[in-house]
Amino acid sequence: MLLSFQGIRKQFGNTMALADVTGVVDGRAVGLLGPNGAGKTTLMKVCLGLIRPDAGQATVLGVDAVANPVAVRARLGYAAEGPGRLPGLSGLESVAYAGELCGMRRRESLLRGHDMLDLVGLDESRYRPVETYSTGMFQRVKVAMALVHAPDLVLLDEPTSGLDPESRDELLDLVVHLRDHGGPAVLLSTHLLHDVERTCDAVMIMQNGAVRFAGPLSDLRVQRASEFDVRTAVPAPALRARLQALDAEVTPGGRPDQLRVRLPAGAGPDLVWQAAASTGDAVVHLQARAASLEDAFLEAIGGRPALVAPPPSAWPRPAEPPRG
Amino acid sequence: MAEPPVLEDRIHAVGYRGHTLRGRPRRAPWPMARTALVLAWRNRSTKFALLMCLAVVGIAGVALVGQLLFQRFTSSGGLPMDPASVVGSAQEVFAGFVRAQFYTSAIAIAVIAGGCVAEDRAAGALELYFARPVSRLDYALGKLLGAGLVPTATLVAPTLLLWLVAVGISPPALGAQLWWLGVPALAAAALGAFVLTTTLVGASAMGQKSRTVSVAFVATMLVLTGVGEGLVEAGQSWAGYLVPERDLRTVVDALLEVGRPSIAAQLVPNRGVLPNEDVAASLLGLIAFAGAGLVALTWRLRQDVES
Repeated sequence: MLLSFQGIRKQFGNTMALADVTGVVDGRAVGLLGPNGAGKTTLMKVCLGLIRPDAGQATVLGVDAVANPVAVRARLGYAAEGPGRLPGLSGLESVAYAGELCGMRRRESLLRGHDMLDLVGLDESRYRPVETYSTGMFQRVKVAMALVHAPDLVLLDEPTSGLDPESRDELLDLVVHLRDHGGPAVLLSTHLLHDVERTCDAVMIMQNGAVRFAGPLSDLRVQRASEFDVRTAVPAPALRARLQALDAEVTPGGRPDQLRVRLPAGAGPDLVWQAAASTGDAVVHLQARAASLEDAFLEAIGGRPALVAPPPSAWPRPAEPPRG
Repeated sequence: MAEPPVLEDRIHAVGYRGHTLRGRPRRAPWPMARTALVLAWRNRSTKFALLMCLAVVGIAGVALVGQLLFQRFTSSGGLPMDPASVVGSAQEVFAGFVRAQFYTSAIAIAVIAGGCVAEDRAAGALELYFARPVSRLDYALGKLLGAGLVPTATLVAPTLLLWLVAVGISPPALGAQLWWLGVPALAAAALGAFVLTTTLVGASAMGQKSRTVSVAFVATMLVLTGVGEGLVEAGQSWAGYLVPERDLRTVVDALLEVGRPSIAAQLVPNRGVLPNEDVAASLLGLIAFAGAGLVALTWRLRQDVES
C-alpha cells in the first residue's frame, strides 16, 4: 500500500489544515488534487514526517511516518513547491549534494547526479549556479534532486506551477515515463485537473483539509454514470416536467430538443423511457454522459456543476451541403 | 532505403535507472560542512578574512622565531639580564597569539559562517535537508562542524604549527620545556574555537540574514569587551566574566602559566593585560557562552522542524 491515512488532524493557530484525513491510496502515479489551501502540502509534509499531526496515523510504504520520519524519508524523494535552493551551488552540485544527504558517497552521487540531470533534460547549464536558472530549469533540478537516491516514492508538490506550456509538457512526460518505465511511484500534488488526467492512475481529492475521494480515476468517473443526454423529436416541456416529478434533475441541453437528465439514486434509463411513454414524446436519442474529470472533481468537492446549457457557439454545427 | 530514425532533443533520452546504495549510508554532517566551506571559499570576503588571520599568524611566528633565536644565541653570552624578561617567554607569545587570533578568528568565522543557519532559513532550504534522512542532530552537527573548521584552521592549526616551530628551533634546554607546552596551548586554542563556533552558530540560528548576523556577532564581541574592560577598570571585577575574550585570556594564562609580563609587553599600551581573578569562574563563563549558542540552535531547530 502506497499511502494510508487514519484520522489525521493538524491545526495551525485557528486554521484547521487537516481535518480528520482518512483514506487509502495505491497506484504508480497518484494525483493529490484540490484547490489552493486544501491541505495538500500539509499532507505531503505529514508523509515526510516534517509535520507532526495533532492526531491520527500516516503510513507511507508500510512505515509509520509519524513514529519513524527518518526511515520514511530515506525511501522518499521530495520536490517542494518553494524555492528551496542553496545559492552558489550549480545544478549538478545541488543534485549530488542531495544524494550525499541521503547517504551516498561523493563520487557515487556525482555520477548519479549526471544520470538524473540527463533524465530531466538539463544540458550543459547543469554547471551554472542555480540562482541563474529559469523556473523551468530549477523545477527540473528539484525533480532530479528528488530522484537521485532512487526513492520508492517521489512527492512532487505543484511541479508544473509557473512553467511555460512546453516545459510543463516535458515535466508531465517525465512523470508518465517514471510511471511506465520502472521509476518510483509518484504522488503529484496539483490543482490542475489536466495534469492528473494525463499522468495519474489514481487520485486523492482534498478540500478544506478533508479527503473527498480516494481511489482509481476510473472509479471517480463511474460516479457520474447516472447522467444522461436525452433528445426528443421536438422540444418536450411535458417530458421535462414529468421527469422532475419523478425526482430527476433536468436542465436544458445544448439544443432546444435536448435535455440533460440526472436520475435519482437507484433509477436506470428505463425511467426516461417510461416518462416519455406517459407524456407521448418520442425519444430519438438517449446516451449516458461521458463524465469529464472536471465534472467528477467538482462533484467530489461538493461544487457540483450546474446543469446549464452550453453557449450556442458550442452547439454542434450542421454538416455543410456538398458544393457544386 | 529506410530513413534513419530522427533523434529528438527530448527529455529522458537516457531513461530512468534504479540505483542501489553502495555500502552503509554515510552520515550527513560531513557533506554539509564540506559544502558550506566550498561555497564560502567562492566569496572574496572569505579569502580576505583568512588573509587577515594569516597576517596575525605571521606576526606571532616572527616574534616567536626571533625570540627563540635571540635566546639561542645569547644563552652562552653571559648577558646581565635574562632575555626572556626583555622580549617575553614563549608562553607569553602563545598566550598573546591565542588572544589576538581569537578576535581575528571571530571576524573570520562571522564572515565565512555567519549565514550557516540564517541563510537556510531565509532561502527556505531547511526543507532541502529535512525532507531527506537528516535528523535535527545531523543538521546541528553539520553546521557546527562547518563553522568549527574555520577557527580550527585559523586558531588551532596555527597554534600547532607555531608550537612545532618553537620546539624545532629552540635551544636544547628550552626545547624540553616547550615540549610540554603543546597540550595546554592547543587546549586553549581549541577552547577558543569551541566558544566561537557555538556562539556564532547560535547567533546564526536566531537571524535570517548572513550579513546582519556577521556584523551583530562581531559588534557584540567588541561591545562586550569594551564595556566589560571599562567596568573592571572602574572596580566592578564581576564584569570581566562577561567578556569572552577576557575569560579565555584568564584560562589561557592559567593553562600556559604565563608569569609577569615582559618589559616589551609592558611598553605596549594594553589595558587588558591583567586577567580575571578566578580561573574557574572564567571557565564557567566560557561554558555559559557556548551553552547559550547551543541552546539557541536547539530552540530554533525545534521551532522550525517538528520532527
